[in-house]
Amino acid sequence: MSRVMASIRRRLPGPRWLVIAVPYLWLLLFFAVPFAIAFKISFSSAAIAMPPYTPLVEWVGDSLKLSLNAGNYLYLVRDSLYVNAYLSSLKIAVISTFLCLLIGYPIAYSIARMSPANRNIALMLVILPSWTSFLIRIYAWVGILKNNGLLNNLLMNLGLIDEPLQILHTPTAVYIGIVYAYLPFMVLPLYANLVKHDYRLIEAANDLGAPPLKSFFTITLPMSKAGIIAGAMLVMIPVLGEFVIPEMLGGADTLMIGRVLWQEFFNNRDWPVASAVAIVMLALLIIPIMIFHRYQSKEMESRLS
Amino acid sequence: MAAVTNGSAAGAAKNEKLGAENYLRIESVRKEFDGFVAVDDVSLSIRKGEIFALLGASGCGKSTLLRVLGGFEKPTKGRVILDGQDITDLPPYERPINMMFQSYALFPHMSVEQNVAFGLKQDGMPRADITRRVAEMLALVQMEKFARRRPHQLSGGQQQRVALARSLAKSPKLLLLDEPMGALDKKLRSQMQLELVNIVERLGVTCVMVTHDQEEAMTMAHRIAIMDAGWIRQLGTPDEIYEQPSCRFTAEFIGSVNLIEGKIKDDEKDFITITSPALECLAYVGHGVTGFEGQDVALALRPEKVAVSKDEPAQPHNKVKGIIEDIAYFGSHSVFHVRLAGGTKVLANMINSQRWASEKFTWNDAVWLSWDDQAGVVLTS
Repeated sequence: MSRVMASIRRRLPGPRWLVIAVPYLWLLLFFAVPFAIAFKISFSSAAIAMPPYTPLVEWVGDSLKLSLNAGNYLYLVRDSLYVNAYLSSLKIAVISTFLCLLIGYPIAYSIARMSPANRNIALMLVILPSWTSFLIRIYAWVGILKNNGLLNNLLMNLGLIDEPLQILHTPTAVYIGIVYAYLPFMVLPLYANLVKHDYRLIEAANDLGAPPLKSFFTITLPMSKAGIIAGAMLVMIPVLGEFVIPEMLGGADTLMIGRVLWQEFFNNRDWPVASAVAIVMLALLIIPIMIFHRYQSKEMESRLS
Repeated sequence: MAAVTNGSAAGAAKNEKLGAENYLRIESVRKEFDGFVAVDDVSLSIRKGEIFALLGASGCGKSTLLRVLGGFEKPTKGRVILDGQDITDLPPYERPINMMFQSYALFPHMSVEQNVAFGLKQDGMPRADITRRVAEMLALVQMEKFARRRPHQLSGGQQQRVALARSLAKSPKLLLLDEPMGALDKKLRSQMQLELVNIVERLGVTCVMVTHDQEEAMTMAHRIAIMDAGWIRQLGTPDEIYEQPSCRFTAEFIGSVNLIEGKIKDDEKDFITITSPALECLAYVGHGVTGFEGQDVALALRPEKVAVSKDEPAQPHNKVKGIIEDIAYFGSHSVFHVRLAGGTKVLANMINSQRWASEKFTWNDAVWLSWDDQAGVVLTS
């Protein structure tokens, strides 16, 4: 009897198994299942129904009919709107990532060089804005950038310009908003990398004849490669699918895939096309993530061997 | 301290081969950090080809002085002149000086080759020359086989060889070594000490090193400066510093020493005698000192110069009775801790040259300690 109990207990999941299961369960619930649903919808056709698409599997007479509609994907390729939206999103994401890097690197570098006490204050200042709602912060930029907003009033009062600059509802405003909102995601991984650098390496480079600027480009910059890649990924991936910032700060012509997705879903009520847009976007995002992952594991291997 | 006696003979011979005097001149260099004086008006003159050690406990200012030489710290006052050129205001990257850093500071993202080539590249040397020079340097430190490796794939000793090759690649006029053996284990340390000295001497590089390890300074350096609280307490060859300490600080810092406090009784031209409450008879020292009768002095006696015997020695002075309190066995020699009648403790070494000595001493034996006229050094400060 007791032997049977023991064998049952052995077959039951142990604590080790439970610990491993938690992240997988999380991924299954919040990634795999929604993805499967969107993937399924992307192969159906739009219909005036509830929900607004046709089922994939149907009984027609005695036969079970599975109809896969590839038309949504073909539509994405045929209509230049979608290709342009993807390309424009990619362009905006790449440029704003680069701007974040350009602004974020000096910030991260100077924080990493501060005394530990000042460092914590500076990091706090970097993180502090995110304690306010993202939406409110972006809305505040509308107040700053609009024609009779803070910035224009200031410039006019200073006599630098005669009539207000049209910034709001232009690509410039979108870049300002994106760089502002995503800068901490660039600064924090860069800081985490730079703070570990051994200052003696810079001294060694100086000692061997490299002036400060050259030591930066030959020692500090290559050694912070992992931080740059991590920061770039953290900025680029969410920016690619960004909706709020182009919607609030951009003009009607600011084409981004997040906005197209919104329009398909809410304005056109075309769930299948919207799903197809989302699936393609995910596929596009997975490529840089995989490159990053591959680079990281290669780095780990070389460190272990 | 067998290494010391060897070192002194070899050191004297080495010194004759050294080049021009005043190759490196440190002229009353002072360095303050927020009111704290790290280096206090230090002046030194170092010969070409010399290996010079700054020896001292941590915080004595030796590392700051080395960093001043490297150009990483700007002296508050004073000049540094190398080979006739005033380099005080030159930044590190313009000085003909290279440093081997304490934990080597090898560039982790570069291979061994690239590390060694780094300095040469900064000089704009043609690529073919760089390749040749790197191969030459790696051969010098016997690291040819590891040229493609990354620093983290090397052992501590191998990393040190690479660091040495990197700092010598540019043929610097002055090589700085910051605690060169600090990161190595004891066995590797003694081997690398001699190897490093051989390489440096073969190339004829002038070298200033910083260390807190007296044995390291004694084995490697031609001359040693003992630093304390920002200034130099004593300067000399290893044997001078060991045999003729100039003050209590250096006597106690280097090796172990017995200090017997007393007063000068007779101050003659070629000898003095000292009365001490610790001794029953007079201490007789066979050399004169600049002192006066009645002055408080300390007689410094190295333990290996104190003899232990069962019977009273024939000499009229320099002897004292005591009881063996402790015996520490070190294999090659034993150290006897002898308590004198007055309460003072004196250490005496005895070499264990025979497997079974005829005179065996044990705990609580009453013994006589004695030393000869030249054994002691009189310290007035």
